[in-house]
Amino acid sequence: MNKKNFILPIAVLSGLLSLVGCGDGEVVRTNNEIYVTVYDGGYGTAWIDQVAKDYEAKTGIRVNWNADQSILERMSSELDSPQSDIYMSHDITWQEYAELGQLEQLDDLYNSQVEGTGKTFKQRLCAGAEEVSRLENGHYYKVCYTQGAGGLVYNIDMFRKYNWSVPTTYDELKTLCQTIVDSKIKTEDLGLVVPIAWSGKDREYYWDYIVFEWWAQLGGMDAINKYKAFLGDDGKYSTGYQVYNPATNHKEFKQAYEKWHELIAMNPSFSESSAQSQLLVNANTLFASGQAAMIPYAQWAKYEIQHNSGIEFDFDIAMMKTPKISATAQDYNYNVGFGDSMIIPANIPETSKKLAKDFLRYLAGEEACKTFVDKARGAFLAFDYSSINLGNLLNDTYIASVYNKLTTCTNFNLVSMNPVAYINSSAIMPWIGNTYYYTKAFADPTNTDYQATAVCDAIYATATNGWSTWMKKAHISD
Amino acid sequence: MTRIVEANNTSSKKNPRRRRFIKASTIFVIVMLSYSVLHFLVMWVGVNFNSILLSFKSYNRNGTYSWLSGPNFFENFQLIFEGIKLDVDFRRSMLTSSLAYFIVSCFVTLPIALIFSYFIFKKILANGFFKVIFFLPSIIPLIILTTIYTITVGNNGPVGQLLDLMGIQSANLFVTPKSTEIMTWIFCVWAGIGYDVILLTAGMSRIPRDILESCKMDGVPSFKEFIRIVIPLTWSTITTLFVFGMMSVFTVFLQPFYLGANQKEMWTIGTHIFFESKSNRALNAPAALGLFYSLIGAPIIVGTRSLLNKFFGEVSY
Repeated sequence: MNKKNFILPIAVLSGLLSLVGCGDGEVVRTNNEIYVTVYDGGYGTAWIDQVAKDYEAKTGIRVNWNADQSILERMSSELDSPQSDIYMSHDITWQEYAELGQLEQLDDLYNSQVEGTGKTFKQRLCAGAEEVSRLENGHYYKVCYTQGAGGLVYNIDMFRKYNWSVPTTYDELKTLCQTIVDSKIKTEDLGLVVPIAWSGKDREYYWDYIVFEWWAQLGGMDAINKYKAFLGDDGKYSTGYQVYNPATNHKEFKQAYEKWHELIAMNPSFSESSAQSQLLVNANTLFASGQAAMIPYAQWAKYEIQHNSGIEFDFDIAMMKTPKISATAQDYNYNVGFGDSMIIPANIPETSKKLAKDFLRYLAGEEACKTFVDKARGAFLAFDYSSINLGNLLNDTYIASVYNKLTTCTNFNLVSMNPVAYINSSAIMPWIGNTYYYTKAFADPTNTDYQATAVCDAIYATATNGWSTWMKKAHISD
Repeated sequence: MTRIVEANNTSSKKNPRRRRFIKASTIFVIVMLSYSVLHFLVMWVGVNFNSILLSFKSYNRNGTYSWLSGPNFFENFQLIFEGIKLDVDFRRSMLTSSLAYFIVSCFVTLPIALIFSYFIFKKILANGFFKVIFFLPSIIPLIILTTIYTITVGNNGPVGQLLDLMGIQSANLFVTPKSTEIMTWIFCVWAGIGYDVILLTAGMSRIPRDILESCKMDGVPSFKEFIRIVIPLTWSTITTLFVFGMMSVFTVFLQPFYLGANQKEMWTIGTHIFFESKSNRALNAPAALGLFYSLIGAPIIVGTRSLLNKFFGEVSY
């Protein structure tokens, strides 16, 4: 081949090859299949695999599922040209997508009958899930994915062996931790059993599940609802930052953090000595290998701890109700999973929308709800389980404990439907600006900057300073 | 003269194959360059131009942008000043954190790199090996590099264990803002030296041998040679690296992000803009912030460069 004939094709080919990676293949949808993307996290994928098979066996519709850890990062562009008909993940900013017209309206789904239950889809939802799925315009755009329960997960066998009672109050929890430390129980590798394993490196926010419940115990639903409204004492948007006032509205939050500080930061022996720099996988391994008696976690604990550590539990575990901060306090459960969403993109064919809605309707049925609990090892979908016979599943101590927590405590969530809050969701949260203090406080317990007064003052100052900007971003005015 | 032109014309007429080949190679060059040029136009010119436009627009909740007009034309910039006024502590710490990288890059990394480069230039034992070792961090992705660094220096890592023995609690190194910031500076020095060393050794290798041999014959000590000959003759490279170091005030953002996670006290100007644009659909505020800092930074950097260029006369060899 002479040079002329050789150079040109190579040049053109190089140019074309550089563009090859620019696009994914389009999904060619047929009328008897749907595509589902689930976040690849603490619920695993066994549940979607089983539910997909059951659904196909029942309807003949094939469910092509895909588990993806990076779905959140490209959700916006995914919704522009969807590869899936349903997306299930935490932290989907669905209100924004709905306002942009990227989500399918789900009113017809909510009003439709769920086969075999005698109830509409709306009636099948667990308490509180409906309100946080509806925009100000009254239309539904998402379905809550899971309910969620959080708290301290403990090693039942260890508690039995050493005759420790499950603490029901804050003081009992503190005494128990001290007892474990004083017992100096040696593990197989001659290390000492620590009361609590936790990850300060990448999951310090798991402490929220306990601290938020203490907050609710101290302030009741009034304090929680006042916070979620993000309206000032005068009922206006512009003074919404007042919900963070540590002297008034945020007083109980401050007390809850203060109690955490007193229990964990001021008692370093209650945690593994380097908890502040431990990764989640290390904390999981400590607990799974019997080197820690308790671990702060949420409903996905059983699957995730075993999956991360690679250790199958050879002991029973359970999630305790969060020990009461005072004798008169009520039991509360923080619905960790209410921020999780199942959404249908607007930009898919009508047939696919119909099939996607039917699949969501199927999830609300008894069979799928049970399968989820079984395969996700103790997590519950955001549907009402009171009429579902869980049968043998309740023989599993962990599933039973989560179920007990969900059904016997007052459930609450922190999902706000105030546009200022959801437009600025990465900044407006109890730990404003997504700034946590647990790890820093544990590493430097005497530093006043990380103690309740300074922390809550800083939160209030940040809220006060940022509020007008956040309101402008949300295009909200009084 | 005329005859020569005619001769050339005749030769090109006589060789049509050569003319066609030149045409083909021109197309080849155009095709090969077009991607890079297009990439530059879209990803640099286009992005920056759009960023300037964005700072004069407002974001609507339906996903569109509209031009600001009238008294609101500078609204995005007003928000910046409001932010500075309201949150003085944060802005001050952000500015201090950013300026610290100027000190680290220009007055720590660059002098160290200069000394190492001179050693390599003087062909110390295993200089080639050191060159590779120094440059290695520059070609490894930052996320991998920061992970290796935290594992090695942090709790249970080999350096971490050594630090524990010395009474420094390695578990706390990446936890509190102060210690994390110091660890980030150390990281920047470690990871930044290689780049400087490569450019400086390249600059030094251009110094004519006869100058150095003359120094040798005159018995000039190495230190004097370094100060009086090597530095002035590589001054243009040093100036360039100094300017790059100054720019780190605005460009360092991933290092504190990867090593300090959510420690707001460590945020630099770059980290602030990064988080602002990551957490919002509305990109007008971070765009205005970028423009604002560019307007402040650009004259300072250009001025410093002119000043540095005056230190030594222009040398060509």
